[in-house]
Amino acid sequence: MAIATASLSPPPGRSLFDRMARRAEPYLYAAPALILIVTIMLVPLALGLSYAFRDVQLLKPFSGGFVGLDHFRTLYGDDNFYRALRNTLWWTGASVFLQFAFGLILALLLDKPFAGRALVQALVFLPWAVPTFLTGLNWAWLFNPVIGPLPHWFYALGLMSEPANILSDPRLAMWGPIAANVWWGIPFFAITMLAALQAIPRDLYEAAAIDGAGAVRRFTSITLPFLAPTIAITVLLRTVWISNFADLIIVMTNGGPADRTQIVASYIFTQAFKALDFGYASAIALVLLVLLLAYSMLIIILRQMMMDRG
Amino acid sequence: MASIDISNVRKDFGIVQVLHGVDLAIGDGEFVVLVGPSGCGKSTLLRMIAGLEEVTAGEIRIDGARVNERAPKDRDIAMVFQSYALYPHMNVAQNMSYSLRLRKAAKDKIEAAVSNAAGKLGLQPLLERRPKALSGGQRQRVAMGRAIVRQPKAFLFDEPLSNLDARLREQMRAEIKKLHKDLGATSIYVTHDQIEAMTLADRIVAMHAGVVQQVGSPLELYDRPANLFVAGFIGSPAMNFLSARYEARDGKGAARLSDGTLIELPATYLIEEGAPITLGIRPEHVAMVPATPGGLQATVDLIEPTGFGIILHLGLHGLPFNVFTLDREALMAGPTVTVSFPQQHLHVFDHQGNRATQ
Repeated sequence: MAIATASLSPPPGRSLFDRMARRAEPYLYAAPALILIVTIMLVPLALGLSYAFRDVQLLKPFSGGFVGLDHFRTLYGDDNFYRALRNTLWWTGASVFLQFAFGLILALLLDKPFAGRALVQALVFLPWAVPTFLTGLNWAWLFNPVIGPLPHWFYALGLMSEPANILSDPRLAMWGPIAANVWWGIPFFAITMLAALQAIPRDLYEAAAIDGAGAVRRFTSITLPFLAPTIAITVLLRTVWISNFADLIIVMTNGGPADRTQIVASYIFTQAFKALDFGYASAIALVLLVLLLAYSMLIIILRQMMMDRG
Repeated sequence: MASIDISNVRKDFGIVQVLHGVDLAIGDGEFVVLVGPSGCGKSTLLRMIAGLEEVTAGEIRIDGARVNERAPKDRDIAMVFQSYALYPHMNVAQNMSYSLRLRKAAKDKIEAAVSNAAGKLGLQPLLERRPKALSGGQRQRVAMGRAIVRQPKAFLFDEPLSNLDARLREQMRAEIKKLHKDLGATSIYVTHDQIEAMTLADRIVAMHAGVVQQVGSPLELYDRPANLFVAGFIGSPAMNFLSARYEARDGKGAARLSDGTLIELPATYLIEEGAPITLGIRPEHVAMVPATPGGLQATVDLIEPTGFGIILHLGLHGLPFNVFTLDREALMAGPTVTVSFPQQHLHVFDHQGNRATQ
């Protein structure tokens, strides 16, 4: 930009308007993109953040005044928030771990050639294409003993004393949305891991086999190091997405029973669209944003360290 | 060090047969080169010896012991790959010591083996580097070092020089030969490059379409090719072939070319009078002579100076025919030249393409 304006320095003896127009030229070129970014990204972000410091309640027409850090003080003593935070850790940790584990196993299986592999690959990636709303409803029905088979199977296997709906059991309810989430999210890991696996040169495995490495050693000393960067970035992305991902919980349990499946994201949704307290919801969202930013920075630093070492 | 015996080995990929019964006995310390065009099955044979491909039928023995069912790691062989197949996340020393570490060898033993191999290959200053920080030639050396460290019964090379540029290839070729002299290890080397085959091998195995065409010393293959394939494959520029009919006159054989020219052969052959034969003569053996009536006239299509010598692309009876000469006057040749074929350099093949018996 500095170079551009320098080379466009006004020739002497022109009118004032001419000179101003020439000065403004580069900014005018950049303006359309900048205006778009500011209006659709920065303004809503700033507005949302500002709600966190204001009293915005839809049912109170005269609300909207500046309240400073009041929302955060309330939040500090809000037991529901802490439970939601703990639930978020559980929900995110279990979902990401299971999605990753099953996704990796699936990718390893699909990496081996067999008859009809193309068809199986296409089928395996299907859940990713199902809308999350539908996924949630489908799994809620599967867990429902009146129309779904799962409770009866669990009962037959002796896992349950009676064919009950786990979504209404405070101790087990979280596993409902987690199961749905794992089913829905496995393809993401399977696709990315499969792509990374197929980029590993085959003769490395052959060289290792000749060098004396068994199947387990080949996996730990060739497959894992090659997959590590992909694993790091996908786990980071999924963690952020899943901790923000309230659709399945809203559809399947709506945070219940007794708030046992309420995660921070669904708590924000409840505060904003059920209690209609936009100010408080924004304050919680701000805290979640800061936590996720800190987590992302941590992973990026870790990854950088790994890359430097490698 | 070990001998390797291959008896009647066949390989099918589904319904496609790629090896049709290969027999080969490789002696202790011998350097054998498998050579042939791509798709001839030479790499498949090597990978079967390594244990990377299953043997469909037949038997492979290393040091007398059948290894068909043994895993690659239990065959005590080392392999150098065309792509080098170095482990990218390990440095040079780790790459070279990987197999010993897997075998849980003593630490000082590993270090001694690595530094010994690194010394032989000039890799000492690079031991801490990772493969991506190495040049192609250095990677090639590390791949060989990885094989040497093991002190295996046999070395297997799968086109190890194909990814290098011409100058480096020559240099590494010489190094491999020197290394084999030093170590005296049994080596099997696969290449499609006949120069590599000629320069490195104690014995060459020429293969074509999954069948061994000829086994012999490099000069044996060059001087007495067993059939048209070997004759055409070994030697550059390639041997010239002329179609003719066999005639026996005055107790001596002769070949009648299609234009009626009669070429006397060095001996009589067990071929029927009038049967079709193929005459072969290498470009470097063709003599250019002053024009004589009844001499073989050829048109000059193209002159290629290589610096060392000159390749003349001729047309003989409308068919391409090459001459290689060191005589710089050939640069001025044309538009026609007269060629003659010294008898002792003529190769005679019967109508099936096999070397004719005298």
